[in-house]
Amino acid sequence: MTDRDPDFSDRVTRLERVWANLPGLGTLAAVNHTTVGLRFMVTGAAFFLVGGLLAMLMRTQLALPEQDIISPEIYGQLFTMHGTVMMFLFAIPILEGLGLYMIPKLIGARDLVFPRISAFGYYCYLFGGLIILSSLFLGIAPDAGWFMYTPLSGEEFSPGPGSDFWLLGITFVEISAMAAGIELTVSILRERANGMSLSRMPLFCWYILAMALMIVFGFPPLILASVLLEVERAAGLPFFDVAGGGDPVLWQHLFWLFGHPEVYIIFLPAAGIVSTLIPVFAQRPIVGYRWIVLSIILTGFISFGLWVHHMFTVGIPLLAQAFFSVASMLVAVPTGIQIFAWLATLWTGRVIFSLPMLWIFGFLVVFVGGGLTGVMLALVPFNWQVHDTHFVVAHLHYVLVGGMLFPLMAGLYYWLPLLTGRMPSESLGRLGFWLFFIGFNATFLLMHLTGLRGMPRRVYSYEAGLGWDWLNLLSSVGGFILAAGVAVIIIDVILHLRYGRRAPRNPWRADTLEWALDKPPPTYNFVSLPTFRTRHPLWEHPELPESIASGQHALAGAEHDRRETYGSDAVTGKVREVFHLPSNSWLPLLAALSLAVVCVALLVRTYDVALVGVVAAAVFLLRWGWVNGAHPGMAPLSNDEPTDPPLHSRTTDGPGLWGMVVTLMANGTLYLCLIFGWVYLWTVAPEWVFPEDPRLPLSGMLVSGGLLVIAALLQHRAAKRLAAGNAAGLQARLWQAAGLGAAHFAVLLWLTLEAPLEPTGNSHDAVLLMLLIYLLFHGALAALLTAMQALRVARGYIGVRLPYEPVVLRPLWIYTTGIFWLGVVIFILLPAGWAP
Amino acid sequence: MMFRRLAAPMLLGTLLGLAGCSGPLSTLDPAGPSAATAALLWWGMFAAFSLVWLAVVGLWLYAMFRQPASDDPARARRIEKRWIIGGGVALPVVSITVLLAYGIPAGHSMLPLPLDKGESLEIHVTAHQWYWEVMYPESGIALDDELHIPAGKPVDVHLRSADVIHSFWVPRLGGKLDAVPGRTNVQRLQADEPGSYRGQCAEYCGVGHAHMKFTVTAHTPEDFEAWKRQETQGDD
Amino acid sequence: MRHRAVHPAHLVLGLVVWAVWFVAMYGGLSVACAVAPPPVADGALTWVNGLLLLLTAFTAAALLYAAWRCWLAARAEDDVSGDARSRFIPVVSATVHLSAAMAVLAIGVPTIVLPPCP
Repeated sequence: MTDRDPDFSDRVTRLERVWANLPGLGTLAAVNHTTVGLRFMVTGAAFFLVGGLLAMLMRTQLALPEQDIISPEIYGQLFTMHGTVMMFLFAIPILEGLGLYMIPKLIGARDLVFPRISAFGYYCYLFGGLIILSSLFLGIAPDAGWFMYTPLSGEEFSPGPGSDFWLLGITFVEISAMAAGIELTVSILRERANGMSLSRMPLFCWYILAMALMIVFGFPPLILASVLLEVERAAGLPFFDVAGGGDPVLWQHLFWLFGHPEVYIIFLPAAGIVSTLIPVFAQRPIVGYRWIVLSIILTGFISFGLWVHHMFTVGIPLLAQAFFSVASMLVAVPTGIQIFAWLATLWTGRVIFSLPMLWIFGFLVVFVGGGLTGVMLALVPFNWQVHDTHFVVAHLHYVLVGGMLFPLMAGLYYWLPLLTGRMPSESLGRLGFWLFFIGFNATFLLMHLTGLRGMPRRVYSYEAGLGWDWLNLLSSVGGFILAAGVAVIIIDVILHLRYGRRAPRNPWRADTLEWALDKPPPTYNFVSLPTFRTRHPLWEHPELPESIASGQHALAGAEHDRRETYGSDAVTGKVREVFHLPSNSWLPLLAALSLAVVCVALLVRTYDVALVGVVAAAVFLLRWGWVNGAHPGMAPLSNDEPTDPPLHSRTTDGPGLWGMVVTLMANGTLYLCLIFGWVYLWTVAPEWVFPEDPRLPLSGMLVSGGLLVIAALLQHRAAKRLAAGNAAGLQARLWQAAGLGAAHFAVLLWLTLEAPLEPTGNSHDAVLLMLLIYLLFHGALAALLTAMQALRVARGYIGVRLPYEPVVLRPLWIYTTGIFWLGVVIFILLPAGWAP
Repeated sequence: MMFRRLAAPMLLGTLLGLAGCSGPLSTLDPAGPSAATAALLWWGMFAAFSLVWLAVVGLWLYAMFRQPASDDPARARRIEKRWIIGGGVALPVVSITVLLAYGIPAGHSMLPLPLDKGESLEIHVTAHQWYWEVMYPESGIALDDELHIPAGKPVDVHLRSADVIHSFWVPRLGGKLDAVPGRTNVQRLQADEPGSYRGQCAEYCGVGHAHMKFTVTAHTPEDFEAWKRQETQGDD
Repeated sequence: MRHRAVHPAHLVLGLVVWAVWFVAMYGGLSVACAVAPPPVADGALTWVNGLLLLLTAFTAAALLYAAWRCWLAARAEDDVSGDARSRFIPVVSATVHLSAAMAVLAIGVPTIVLPPCP
């Protein structure tokens, strides 16, 4: 037996030591995905209870007509916070947490590619969530609805800090979503076990990949909108204010450009749970793997073409509405394909009907109902009637609770044995399900009728005798049954921790790799990293758990006393590098704390404190960037380095480059949204005017842009020569690039300061100023990071054997150059050529 | 005491439930062509989609509890193809096609397009926090929270907002349309019969939202002219 | 010889084209209605509808061609390797291109019947 071998058990001990979290409070410095993923999920569950409590308060108020338990002011805060908490602090984070927790275990890796970013994301989520929640206890919570329509959410009609809590807090929380999106995309593409080609990837990974990419493209519109609205509120720059040349409908476009994809960001991972569980309980492979992959891709894209169906009553041309109406209905096709693929799997399998399958059944009943009312709502003339009524409230709960919470509960019961090593009880669990299911349908099924009978959403009270009385009473009773169901489930989960029967190694006879792990899973996941030859590793190689634990596969142990896992080709899954990953670090916590200071300081509008916070955050983030590559804290050069495969920092195509490219895709989306805002206000806003004289001299812009092009070319040459093995003059070239970048920045800053802008007077100048700030930030960032790399050359962290880092910065330089010239064309040349 | 408070709405509710869909704000009790079209669309979709829903849930239950007859892979593949292409692709595509064939012309019919004969009556409505300011441009009549219209004749409501976004909605006459600052949106309404129809703001607009109601009174053409005369008398 | 249409970018390319087309349709219509709205009385027979339909037809044709190319690539892959796995990307790509073409056609249809601006 190999596991009795003292030499081998030493290796495992060493592996455990290298991957352990720090003891005591040091656990706050943990970065590994198992710990961080769990924290995300537990925090999300806590926020779910808060959101649920708010819903119970609303249902109490609406139980009978003309009640005055809750004032309209408080009611406004309740429904705003219920939506906000459930969407931003529960649904998205808990699914991100599930992704962070599960993905490495499914793809045979030891951790995600950017562990510190996961930890940073968690702290941004936690602090942002607590800041938003604090407003509720202070009685000054946002109260303009979770979609914050302007002008109601603007300074004039919401003068208190409520809207600021929303805008700043949510933007802070969104950092965590972006972090998870980038992290998961790169991890799934570049970290899969040897041999796990795209076509062998578990379906759950496809779903999470789609979710992650949708976050990357879906969140930037909201981030931009939130920044613009906060700037409008705090500094008076008119983006949405009609009198200043803005337009409130721009907010709606940007919000729903995020808001609709967001529904699918929530649905896709949940559907991933369904696609994972159904084959396990049907005891056969999923039917139509390729069909499902096709559906995932289709959903991911088409869901970006639906956003206007939330705006059918705004007064947009009917033909334009028809485009969105058809697109909204088309998205039913990929959903239908998945539902029937699941049905066919059950049809041809031998189904074991246990507790997770009960929740899957609940999912089907509720979600199909919600999907069908969704198709109804996509029909424009019908939508004009039921939009903003309780019909929509019922529909969205059917879709979101059915499409997200039911599968999530199925997943909870399914993966509980993995997390705790104990089996959930069947009896209490079933009681919880039935209470939840009956309560849910009692609350929401007849609420469709309440809406059809004309009850608008977001009313704190209603007259008796309008035909809504008994329907509302029924909904309230149902709501409390639902709450009882949640309580039973919580009790069940707590009891199982103590009384649950010990789980066997693979209790559900599943096919995926996470069940090869010990329970609860160790922080390093796998003692040795297996090679994949099939989509169903545990069905075809039941001996895998043994052979992994006894170190019979690759990279057994932690030979160099650092955290390592394999990096592989994005398509074939063939191993290409060894990724060395960072260990415990306080930097994510410190950086997030600094940003929390910024957030609170902006809330109370003490801008000097905010500036201190920004500087502190920048220092921590730069330090974070410094402890990388060949830094002694990471993977210093040594003479016994692995060469086949090599360490990623010794190559020119590591995860950092991928992370940079994905980040720039998100960033580019933000920039495109800014351009959209510009063109939109230009063509649509009723009071928009172009100023008489040009704001920026074209010659000055050409000088600034010319400097930027030369800097980018120099950086490109430096990176290219280094990749070819030539480090001569590297440091000087990087200094030159940084210097020219700084010169570009200085010229642009001078042009900005000299420009006769009146940003508070008209939206033309306001948007132009935002563009200039955006360009200035990127110019400064590229110059600063390149200067830092020049220093790293001097320290020996970059060189012939370490050609990695300049390659990572190259896309940033290209991007910075691209946005500058695109900005010149669209913000200066186009208006000059078009306007009289 | 509590019981009596509960009993009255329960009893009333049961009666109303039996009566079906009537109600002063019910979209299912239409009193104008737009609302009637929308209600018809609802009943059609409700019937068809209820069947779809029952069929999917029924099939799912059957699939879970049936014992597959054989393990013949070729047979299994045929079943798979049948379900995915038949249920996943064909069913939604057919449903969508039928829906749009009815829905797009229906939407078109609700637009405030130029009439073949005659003129529509123009009424200007400006939404405020939290009331509706109503103005008849041809006669100069100004009112708050009430509209008067001739029955059987199309009326174009020109919607503006003085502050935040509101939404103008008379459920028994037609769909809703937003009043957006800086824009004028035009909503066409028509009441088939004389009577009083209730309306309300449908877009959340602040603490007074729940009470931002109004009425639309439809008169016979003769009564409408009489009402106009009565309103304008004494003004000039 | 390996076919170029087996590149994994084809998994999303068809829908990227769809997205660009969609933005062009919505943006083009909005700008046209803001700048030079055709008279309402013309119904659906306007230059705006004509241009949008032309764009739709062209995009759909390009996507159908791409779907056909990916399909050929999948068959070629079959002959080269005989391994069903290597067909995965071209087969899924072909269905993605095909679906994108169908989505373009379906969303373009209302242009035939509805007037552009009211």
